[in-house]
Amino acid sequence: MKPCPVVHWQALVRDPGRAAGFYATCFGWNVDDRNALGYREVAAAEGGIGGGLWPLAEGSPLVQLFVEVPNVENALATAHTNGAQVIIPKQILPDGDEMAVILDPEGIAWGLMRRARQPQ
Amino acid sequence: MLSEEFERRRRSNPRYSLRAFALSLRIDSATLSQVMRERRRPSPRATEALCVRLGLAEPQREMLSCEARRAGHERRILRQLGRADFVAGSRRLARRLRLRVDEINAALAQLAREGRLRMVSPARWVALEPDGAR
Repeated sequence: MKPCPVVHWQALVRDPGRAAGFYATCFGWNVDDRNALGYREVAAAEGGIGGGLWPLAEGSPLVQLFVEVPNVENALATAHTNGAQVIIPKQILPDGDEMAVILDPEGIAWGLMRRARQPQ
Repeated sequence: MLSEEFERRRRSNPRYSLRAFALSLRIDSATLSQVMRERRRPSPRATEALCVRLGLAEPQREMLSCEARRAGHERRILRQLGRADFVAGSRRLARRLRLRVDEINAALAQLAREGRLRMVSPARWVALEPDGAR
């Protein structure tokens, strides 16, 4: 099996607007929310990977990592068979990206994604 | 929350009525009944007032107020999905429902997590029965 890369991070935060300002000031991150979901995307800096900020529905703020998989449904099935719990089943986002979230047997939440287009 | 409290009071006093409960909360009993049956959503301010009258502690009040707001957003979003002119996207929903995009997205995440909404294509979102109701 070809190794699946970690391609994206996502911070789940109480106040994404405030967080975006903090990260822009402290890390120089470029945050852009001009998309159908209003998702605050953080462009990848040189040598790093891109990410995004999403409002927290409940619980404590956290960072999730997203693994790019060739097929989200198959990856969910494999993860489930091997003891993971599906937290969010596959969703197809307005830009065509596919995503899901699992909780692995260690209790770590991982995002699975298949991007419609590879980033430039 | 209200139903649980009402049932708790009825357990200690089987003759305790909805009318008495409404009086204790300083709310009209018909309105209270609608709220308890989720036919009516109290405003965040009314929710806060109800929490105070129920004697809840500040962190619990804040949590319930947030939940009340978000549950209201979730219901409004689900109602939109059935409309013929619905177009998938948080920005459009936010404009239509006069909410902030972050409020929409927090509610969408919760709906997806609870299995009540599925984004089946870039343009189509569908409402589902929650897992427990299938």
